[in-house]
Amino acid sequence: MKQVPQKDAPLKLNESGAWIREDVSYEVNEPDAYALEEALRQKEKHSGEVVVITAGPARAQQVLRGALAKGADRAIHLEDAGFVGLDAFNTSRAIAAAIREEKFDLIFTGLQSDDYGYAQTGVILAELLGWPHATIIMQIEKSDSGIRVKRELEAGFFQFVDMPLPAVLTIQSGINKLRYATLIGIKQAKNKPLRKVSMGEVQSALGPNGLKIEKLYVPEKTKNTEMLEGSPAEIAKKLVEKLRNQVRVL
Amino acid sequence: MSVLLFRQPLPNVTRPQMEADVVIVGGGPAGMACALRLSQLIDNHNGKNPDSPLSKENIYVLEKAREIGQHCLSGALLDPRSMRELLPGFEKEAPLDAEVSQEAVYFLSRHSKFKFPVTPPPLRDHGNYVISLNRFVKWLGGKVEEAGITIFTGFAGSELLVEGDRVLGVRTDDKGVDKDNQPKGNFEPGYDLRAKVVILAEGSRGSLTKQLIGRFQLDRDRNPQTYGQGIKELWEIPAGRVAPGQVIYTMGWPLTSKEYGGAWIYGGKDNIVSLGFVTGLDYPDPRLDPQRVLQEFKRHPFVKGLLEGGKMVRYGAKSLPYGGWWSVPPVSGNGWMILGDSAGFLNSQRLKGIHLAIKSGMLAAETAFAGMLKNDFSATTLAGYGRAVDSSWIKDELWKVRNFHQGFEHGFWHGMFHAALQQVTGGRGLHARYAAHAGHRRLKKLSELPPDGGGEAHLLGNAKGDGKLTFDKLTDLYHSGTKHEEDQPAHLVIHDTDICNARCVQEYGNPCQHFCPANVYEMVEDPAVSCGKRISLNPSNCVHCKTCDIMDPYEIITWVPPEGGGGPNYDGM
Amino acid sequence: MADTILVVVEQREGKLNRVSWETLTAGQGIAADMGWTLEAAVLGKGASGLASEIAAKQLAKVYAIESPALEPYTPDAYVFALKQFLASHQPRLVLMPHTYQVRDFAPQLAAALKRALISDCIGYKHEGGKLLFTRQMFQGKFAADVSFSGEPPWFATFQNGAFRGDQVKAGSAAAPIETVTIQIPEGTVRNRPHEVFKEAKQAVDLTQAEIIVAVGRGIKEQKNIELAKQLAEALGGEIAASRPICDAGWLPMDRQIGSSGQTVAPKLYLALGISGAIQHIVGMKGSRTIVAINKDSEAPIFEVADLAAVGNLFDIVPPLIEAIKKAKAGA
Repeated sequence: MKQVPQKDAPLKLNESGAWIREDVSYEVNEPDAYALEEALRQKEKHSGEVVVITAGPARAQQVLRGALAKGADRAIHLEDAGFVGLDAFNTSRAIAAAIREEKFDLIFTGLQSDDYGYAQTGVILAELLGWPHATIIMQIEKSDSGIRVKRELEAGFFQFVDMPLPAVLTIQSGINKLRYATLIGIKQAKNKPLRKVSMGEVQSALGPNGLKIEKLYVPEKTKNTEMLEGSPAEIAKKLVEKLRNQVRVL
Repeated sequence: MSVLLFRQPLPNVTRPQMEADVVIVGGGPAGMACALRLSQLIDNHNGKNPDSPLSKENIYVLEKAREIGQHCLSGALLDPRSMRELLPGFEKEAPLDAEVSQEAVYFLSRHSKFKFPVTPPPLRDHGNYVISLNRFVKWLGGKVEEAGITIFTGFAGSELLVEGDRVLGVRTDDKGVDKDNQPKGNFEPGYDLRAKVVILAEGSRGSLTKQLIGRFQLDRDRNPQTYGQGIKELWEIPAGRVAPGQVIYTMGWPLTSKEYGGAWIYGGKDNIVSLGFVTGLDYPDPRLDPQRVLQEFKRHPFVKGLLEGGKMVRYGAKSLPYGGWWSVPPVSGNGWMILGDSAGFLNSQRLKGIHLAIKSGMLAAETAFAGMLKNDFSATTLAGYGRAVDSSWIKDELWKVRNFHQGFEHGFWHGMFHAALQQVTGGRGLHARYAAHAGHRRLKKLSELPPDGGGEAHLLGNAKGDGKLTFDKLTDLYHSGTKHEEDQPAHLVIHDTDICNARCVQEYGNPCQHFCPANVYEMVEDPAVSCGKRISLNPSNCVHCKTCDIMDPYEIITWVPPEGGGGPNYDGM
Repeated sequence: MADTILVVVEQREGKLNRVSWETLTAGQGIAADMGWTLEAAVLGKGASGLASEIAAKQLAKVYAIESPALEPYTPDAYVFALKQFLASHQPRLVLMPHTYQVRDFAPQLAAALKRALISDCIGYKHEGGKLLFTRQMFQGKFAADVSFSGEPPWFATFQNGAFRGDQVKAGSAAAPIETVTIQIPEGTVRNRPHEVFKEAKQAVDLTQAEIIVAVGRGIKEQKNIELAKQLAEALGGEIAASRPICDAGWLPMDRQIGSSGQTVAPKLYLALGISGAIQHIVGMKGSRTIVAINKDSEAPIFEVADLAAVGNLFDIVPPLIEAIKKAKAGA
């Protein structure tokens, strides 16, 4: 699960212009909240253990505490401010290294993050672990050979896929109503195991970043509003022309 | 969509029960100070009595905001007196913007200003700090959590559990209820937190406090509480205009002699300036819009000169209790105590209440601790809190200004006359106790007022805003960061919407549209209704200021907490 | 050997996914800017047939990568085939459209080769000797110029609509086509997909819509939303609304755009009778093209609109629907 700046927080660029100022409020990456919800539902159906993992500075612990309060059993915190600057490949390598000793059957991630939006970490993690994967999953059912998942495709199409376990799935947002943490859940979360993993412990698995953000900037939208004039019929005609040639949707 | 449904606890629902020793409702300065002081007392006790330790496991703070401090808003100037008692040396680690370096008080007329040659003593702020209450409470809350006390964020106290004359606990909000009051797929019933003592620290016009006062008639023999509405904007301005620690107060324009109120401008750090206007909620013209008042204030050449070229970054509003000492209800009873603004511990003359809130929290903690030792939270034991307040500097300070706000009931100049008199009589003035009248009772009917508003015209109706210096309400509101779960019942409970649609529309012109700083209330056209308009709500705009609960002339609006986690986001305020 | 750009086009059941033309346009642009060679590859059953369609465009070569195991699509098969192909043909840059399918296998391919993938780009730049890829961050609040710091092959995917598919240049002569047969060993493919099927959509995810027609208070009455729905249908887009419309229950909550609803950045956003309060604007200002129709010339929506018409939407929308239908039929 990832901690990202709050969706409507006013974000400002830092001095170097390569990242944002970190003095904002943070929240759970919304797609990850759906991944957690799905995991908790699977646990309710088939029993088992739900473990949550995040990579980030100390403040990211909030995400884990919230997940534990909702019903996750254990948490792993790759704690270091340095994790923020890693690219998806390195983040996945760090996670794979941290869970080396674990024996998971399923790994869920959100569809993508609300800050970067790369949509890669889950798939890369599968490759690093040597596990099969499927993306944009709406539904998961247990089957004799492993699991049967429902994949969402573009334009309203869907597909069922049979997969063996263990597997990595990236979960579609909005498939379930997110549950609330209860008072008891919050209280119990305090006593649930939270393992910290330092950057040093996974450093050897990492490499240099494969990509670099040269510059972050507010997109300049040169707003030359083109006014369409004339009678309604004329306006309609002009607009269609624009839609066809300029906007290319026709 | 014709019937308005309002939030109420769902009937026939089994609620999870949880036992607690102490439940503090409200994670503001009073609630946090109480929790921290209680923790200090327990640690101290446990250190000396390792064989009979007291536990902090069952002490909880309920905070309706998603994050600590998110609903905290104030100017703010902190008088460090109580913080120094709570945490000596706190200045070294607390997030303080600046120490007050200079104060100035102005009387504004439409185009010019007159500076008071001498700053009136109550407004002298040397030794005080400019702070962001939001950041301060976040920090304080961090200390409470470090101390091992659980803060439940995102949980509101929605009902008091009462039996006879005893408060048994607090019921938290039902989560996952849809607009039609039906449970959704992720419905979670509120918990019944059965507590040995419930400490109400909900801030101004607390909803549980209101329930308690109503239930036990705690307001008999007291002056009715009177209120003001503070509207604030946080601005980033060009460097050099307002120094960090610079404090400016204004009176006069845009208000006339008929209204009570004034403005503040405090210089923070990083070129951030806090500015706001407090309008007493006892003005006569129901069309008055406090947000408009703030916008008019900014157009004054003096203020415009300070803000020009700057950017408004945040907006918010909150009510404040002005009633003073005579409006404070009994502050403890069988299983309950009331702190801070909920009790009305605010010095309206100095415009300060945070230090009093903190002190009241500390005193309540001491009484709660005494209760924990004896395992007795009866009215007799808890009465220790009231006695402690009576013999503390809270009383000393508030006693001197006990008749201050009431003196203004007949207008500005009368108020100044009485204030001057009170200065030299230790707060007494002309009478031992000045009467007060609830602000909403002073609203005049439209029929008694000039149709165009007369001298008050510039204060009435919605502000249009130029988008740079002044703003319309919706634009301002956007900068409050307010967000709620959309699919939930309306939490502004109107007990009889027919009054809105048939009576109020004629008599007062539906002042809710104006006094609400968040555009929650709207009259929309509806040919089916006799007057052609009906009340419509945008509850998710609400910034939890409580003005509607205070100011509606028919007393038919009850503000109840919406689903926990929703509300404004007063980052930096 | 000259630096090559390889565009991996996408096909579905024997038909080229139109968005692949956009990727080719991008490829042609980068090739011209950098002086590199452009090639394309198509995978799957019937790849050879599709290859000739691609070969008609201006590029150096087209590869038809075939293997029975490539049908139906699975990430394992695609990754195996492309990995093998890339090993022998070493392009500098591999471009793909950012479709659901590409999101499913491209990260796996890049990771298998220990290479970086810059996904969901909206453009590219050649600046300071570097090839930079521009992408949106923080839901459109910022743009980032990203460069590759590792070894080629570099991987990048482009967002739908970032380039114009109709601007792809035709070739003067058909490019040569080479068929490459890949043997995918038994057991490589771990997933077993079933038939693709269509379903009545449940909750709508407006963030995936390319065209959105949104209504505001200017629509006046619930029954008038029908008109807007017709326009949406004619355009092949989704209907959405500003908050007051959803609050009134005229459209479901999941159609709401704005600070309390969804944030979208479609190719085309048509705002009908929307005033443009800031709460709404923040939910759609990232849209590529914004068209606004409103009676009030002072409506703030006009400040963010690319194309604007001040007028009565009830007069303008009906002829607009007709004109769109005609244009689609004629095209």
